[in-house]
Amino acid sequence: MKYAFFPGCSMESTAGDFRMSTLAVAEALGVELEEIPDWSCCGSTPAHATDSLLAASLPARNLAIAQDMGKDVVVCCASCYSRLASANVALAENADLRAQVAEITGREYAGGLKIRHFLQVLNEDIGLSEIKDSVVKSLSGLKVACYYGCLLTRPKELSILNDPEDPQLMDNIMAAAGAEPVEWPYKTECCGASFSITRTETVERLSGDILRMAKQSGADCIVAACPLCQSNLDLRQADVEKATGEKIGLPVFYFTQLLGHALGIPDAALGINKLMVDPSAILAR
Amino acid sequence: MNNPATITSVNQGLLEKLDPEGKLNLASCLQCARCSAGCTMRLETDILPHQMNRMVLMGMEDELLKSKAIWTCVSCHTCVSRCPMKVDTPALVDKLREMTQTAPSQDLEKINIFNNEMLKSMKQFGRVYELGMMGFYKMRARDLFSDLAKFPTMLLKGKMKIFPPRTRAAKSVSAIFDKVRARRAKR
Repeated sequence: MKYAFFPGCSMESTAGDFRMSTLAVAEALGVELEEIPDWSCCGSTPAHATDSLLAASLPARNLAIAQDMGKDVVVCCASCYSRLASANVALAENADLRAQVAEITGREYAGGLKIRHFLQVLNEDIGLSEIKDSVVKSLSGLKVACYYGCLLTRPKELSILNDPEDPQLMDNIMAAAGAEPVEWPYKTECCGASFSITRTETVERLSGDILRMAKQSGADCIVAACPLCQSNLDLRQADVEKATGEKIGLPVFYFTQLLGHALGIPDAALGINKLMVDPSAILAR
Repeated sequence: MNNPATITSVNQGLLEKLDPEGKLNLASCLQCARCSAGCTMRLETDILPHQMNRMVLMGMEDELLKSKAIWTCVSCHTCVSRCPMKVDTPALVDKLREMTQTAPSQDLEKINIFNNEMLKSMKQFGRVYELGMMGFYKMRARDLFSDLAKFPTMLLKGKMKIFPPRTRAAKSVSAIFDKVRARRAKR
């Protein structure tokens, strides 16, 4: 199975561990992720918050390059997924926008590529039974809160999930790896995203609510599928604890890290040492 | 704005200007406030999503452009995904932000500074150079010391790259920014 892979800027730095674990899991399951040559930033929130034409043009450049690869595009970052998928739909629907963007990027792209998240590849192309059969170190006994956040979930038209209020894609994978996904109500709440930098208290409040709810629901850890969600829940966890005086101590993995661990991939190759909240106690069980 | 229900200026063309093709379904809003009940930022905003939709119909352009709400919106899309009439408030907020240069307070202006620094980084390198962008943001926002303690750990763990990304994409991305800006100037 071969795909055109769009890593995105976060995977090059703050989410380097998401990249490492994604590539390791893909290799273990026989998935070839070929990086889109010379890919560039998707534009993220600053582009769509300031200029709709820029917000369509930045993803379009990448899609035009990917088009020559003749494969589905696979994304891991939820924000990149959202921006690429949104531009993909807008360009296919709107001929006027398409013409303007072609002039701006100097590349023709008429839509038609499939933009998919790695969670979809695992669920739909690999399949849960194949994942189950590949597990060598079952996660049995581990209670996991699967956190989906906003951009894989909403808006409905771009959602990778069947049920935007109670998604299951990550829960299925964690269950296939032997873990016990907990039922909890904050799967699709917002962590506060890039307000982490500009409105830190907001993120401490929103991410704090998510962390506390996961803990109250009996989870031993959280798994996430977005660099910003992971960073807000993991890197900001100490700030949340300081602000409330309440110890939380929940490790926050990328789903690829925990799956990779179950597949027998060494923790160092999954970047597990890069996590801020130390997960060694729960992984050693 | 002392009382959001007091109409001080009416601009009948606002709806037409913001949504000429009726794609955002703003006129379909039932004022059921399901959007506002689920709004992530409901505790920190001054105008709730259902109020914002109605203010567009009433032509309250100045009030909307000076609101906190267009800056505090975190683009989580909860409002539109729960709306029975598919009123696209997040797209409305983006359009209002496009019409606004500065935020109404120093506190909110940080969001504007952050956006601009991230765009500059994209334009210069083709990809975001996180460490450099954070440095410029912190200087411009006069927010030098928050999170400083985190940087050594992040660098040690390799969670932040010290050097900027080097790509051949930078040149063509920079050209995209220039062309978009040239078109925007003409608009």
